[in-house]
Amino acid sequence: MKKAKLSTKDILHLAKLSNLKLTSQEIKKMESQLVETLDYVQNLSEINTTKVSPTNHTVNLTNEYFEDGIKNIRGLSEQQVFQNTKVKKGKYFSVKKVL
Amino acid sequence: MKLLGKSITELLELLKNKEISEQDLFNYFVKREKKYNSSLNAFLSLEERPKQAKKGVLSGLPIAFKDNFCTKDIKTTAGSKILENFNPPYSATVVERLENAGAAVLGKTNMDAWAHGSSTETSDFGPTKNPWDLKRAPGGSSGGSAAAMAAYLTPAAIGSETAGSIRQPAAWCGVVGLKPTYGRVSRYGVIAMGSSLDCPGPITSTVEDAALLLKLIAGKDQFDATTTPNEVPDYTKLLKKPRKMTIGIPEDYFEGVDEEVKRKIFEAIEVLKKLGHGIKKVKLISPKYAISVYTIIQRSEVSSNLARYDSIRFGNDRTHFGQEAKRRMMLGTYTLSHGYYDAFYKKAQQVRTLIVEDYKKTFKEVDVIISSTTPTTALKLGEFEKYPFFGEVMDMLNEPAAIAGVPAISIPVGLDKNTLPVGLQIIGNYFKEEDILNLAGQFEKETGFFGIHSQLLKKYPD
Amino acid sequence: MSDYIPVIGLEIHVELQTKSKMFCQCSADYFGKEPNSQVCPVCLGLPGALPVPNRKAIEYCQLIGLALDCKLNKTSKFDRKHYFYPDLPKGYQISQYDEPLCSKGQITIYNPVSKEETKHEITRVHMEEDTGKLIHKDEESLVDFNRSGVPLVEIVTEPDFDNAEDVKAFLKELQIIIRDLRVSNADMEKGSMRLEPNISLRLKTEKKLPAYKVEVKNINSFNFVKKAIEYEIKRQVEILESGGVPEQETRGFNENKGITFSQRSKEYAHDYRYFPEPDIPPMEFNQDYFKRLEQSLPELPRRKWQRLLKLGLQPADAFLIAYDSALSEKFEKLKELSDSTKIAKIIINKKHFNLEQTKSFIKESGKPIETDNKKLDEAIDLVVNNNDKALSDYKNGKENALMFLVGQVMKEMKGQADANIIKKKLLERLK
Repeated sequence: MKKAKLSTKDILHLAKLSNLKLTSQEIKKMESQLVETLDYVQNLSEINTTKVSPTNHTVNLTNEYFEDGIKNIRGLSEQQVFQNTKVKKGKYFSVKKVL
Repeated sequence: MKLLGKSITELLELLKNKEISEQDLFNYFVKREKKYNSSLNAFLSLEERPKQAKKGVLSGLPIAFKDNFCTKDIKTTAGSKILENFNPPYSATVVERLENAGAAVLGKTNMDAWAHGSSTETSDFGPTKNPWDLKRAPGGSSGGSAAAMAAYLTPAAIGSETAGSIRQPAAWCGVVGLKPTYGRVSRYGVIAMGSSLDCPGPITSTVEDAALLLKLIAGKDQFDATTTPNEVPDYTKLLKKPRKMTIGIPEDYFEGVDEEVKRKIFEAIEVLKKLGHGIKKVKLISPKYAISVYTIIQRSEVSSNLARYDSIRFGNDRTHFGQEAKRRMMLGTYTLSHGYYDAFYKKAQQVRTLIVEDYKKTFKEVDVIISSTTPTTALKLGEFEKYPFFGEVMDMLNEPAAIAGVPAISIPVGLDKNTLPVGLQIIGNYFKEEDILNLAGQFEKETGFFGIHSQLLKKYPD
Repeated sequence: MSDYIPVIGLEIHVELQTKSKMFCQCSADYFGKEPNSQVCPVCLGLPGALPVPNRKAIEYCQLIGLALDCKLNKTSKFDRKHYFYPDLPKGYQISQYDEPLCSKGQITIYNPVSKEETKHEITRVHMEEDTGKLIHKDEESLVDFNRSGVPLVEIVTEPDFDNAEDVKAFLKELQIIIRDLRVSNADMEKGSMRLEPNISLRLKTEKKLPAYKVEVKNINSFNFVKKAIEYEIKRQVEILESGGVPEQETRGFNENKGITFSQRSKEYAHDYRYFPEPDIPPMEFNQDYFKRLEQSLPELPRRKWQRLLKLGLQPADAFLIAYDSALSEKFEKLKELSDSTKIAKIIINKKHFNLEQTKSFIKESGKPIETDNKKLDEAIDLVVNNNDKALSDYKNGKENALMFLVGQVMKEMKGQADANIIKKKLLERLK
């Protein structure tokens, strides 16, 4: 596998996808740091995984559900809902206008 | 009456015989925290007095919780400025189970922000110092819990491990740390880092204490779909029956380990041999691949789990994330993104399958696997900045077990020439916590862990 | 317009009428409730909260799949779909990506306007969770999370619709099916059934699918379905005819102006970074379970229609009753009281009557009618002489033909005859 390369454009795109605002210094640093990590993890290409299925869960469970209509013991009161909220309007959370 | 250094079991005996009251016991630890926390920074928040404790087997025992466990109406920060004033309206299942057993929340301990680290230095509230040497790190991310336990600012602590975050600080601080099988203990209410990896677990001074706490927190939780209905064994009872085991020693897990640490591990293996256990060489997939698997899976899950911190319903805005968190999110976004998913995330999950099969195969030949918990003893503060994926490299001996989901325990087996603790880890098969506890308990009975804990406490008198 | 054929695929979201939400026990009945009064750590996306799926919601999704003749998959899982928006508390939606609960299905729609039948393919039916609700004010947007986590079924069709009328007919049929299944009230105005058509155009001569498609959002009633689609088609035709290509984008529908408009905020393609949901183990289903589900299916409208036709109802009457739950219910309850054809007509003509009223009306009109036998014989002669085809059909064993003749005689008699007597006389006549 070839060495990873991340341009400033790539970093900005990743930052947008991650919903992060980076300073220009952070962007610069990020380029080399991410590449260093990405290069290391390429060692996985040394391992043959053809026909190996991925493990999404190490715990061997299936069909874990709850029954519709059972009592809700976790409902939050109005006070609890907003006890950590910075900006609210009446019983709503408030954000600056989005499209 | 001398309380310093007493185990949970001993304290519970005193409480039962009314030789000390719940209130006095709580105050004892509050006093010690007030005396030593400013130099250790193990606690982020302290409860001045206990909440009305419920009646239960733990009868008012104070317990410290890593600050990623939601504790209702007690500030919970995950070590990050994003949650610096977060007051959860609910408690984690682990907290509730211990409270229902009679425990009282003593305080919340320091951690690497979002559990992203192996030294507690990335906490937004200052690093925790290693009680053995204040210029060194206690390990992480459960550094606060391990340091508090080691310096006896708490009789017991609860931490969490994604890969090494319980075992490694336990090793660097000279205490016992247990990572249960993934799915053994509920994650509900534990601020998520790596959803397919996170395991809450006890950090204690004795093996029996770890067994007791595990018994109380383990078991199916209706609010966590990844917990198993497997019956919870009576771990403390099973400890009383020492068993002979076949111990696997993986060659590859000794690569890159300091000479002194290796020496202490070999000495410990001799002790186990003398106790009659069989030793067998085993071959496991090299930890250098585990580093890659873990880095990819963990960072991918991190990028997803930190998406909810948008400051609309709670918390400060995303500019408050520290550098480490940002770096991990960016990497994780990359490894999940379109065009890269197959080469990174999927590939990592495939190698994960091979690691799981590797352990399963090995556990057919041996009962447990032993190695050093960490490649070195506690590093000096500031060393971590040299590496962009410091945590993952430091934890390379812990990652395979974490990736596979098998249980593992770290116990103190000696001190190096700098008087820093060396930890040995015992890795067991799925849901065989009783095996690793059993072997650890035998070692403790035989050696008393070489008096390591009481040696440290000489530096931290009442 | 003539050179281009519309290529329309549909994405329909149906809010399920379970008691609890999809991943927590909060009430799923959020309409009209005080904002943020039905939330918990899970649906509010608090740190440390974890999802556990609602078994009934999954059953309901599979029932919808069965009703659409889909293949129910033996294994399935949830995935995380990432994007940032204030109404999405976790920063990802738990949905399904590559292993949906239901795959390939199909449905035949009867369009009562064109009187034609068209077959359409269903690509998939899967399970996900709804988002909170945003209310846009001047300087701010307000968020209510009562709806966050409500179970949502997504139905995707192949792009095999080519006109707005068929889309409307499909939606109407889908709504009835869903209501008959009792899994949702599928109300477009209330938002429990939402439509997002993907529209593009291809040249008549071109077999390939167009290289672009435009998604239209915010269509809030059946009436607007036709308006929105037809406006969008016209807009695209104009662009294509002037040599351009419509931009691939999402557009909103403004119901006041009757136009679609670009939603510039979604200009970049989403990279949803799907990966399997680590907090929820996979799902597995066996044949026994599928059998039980099939057996629990109520009689769906199309099947009902066919059954009513066999009972002798006229096609238009049969269609009306089969596709109206209220009328169906009445019919099933009252059909024993008299002749099915007659009952059907009464139920349709007197649809405003409640059950009791309809019952008494039937009983009243059931009273034997004074039949003018001379007039009846004349009517029978007339009908028999003018319906050669029906006669030969009957002689060839088609029972329906007899009912047809009875109906014709009744028509001649302007309803003033006893149907049983007509039938008897006809049978004698036809011997």
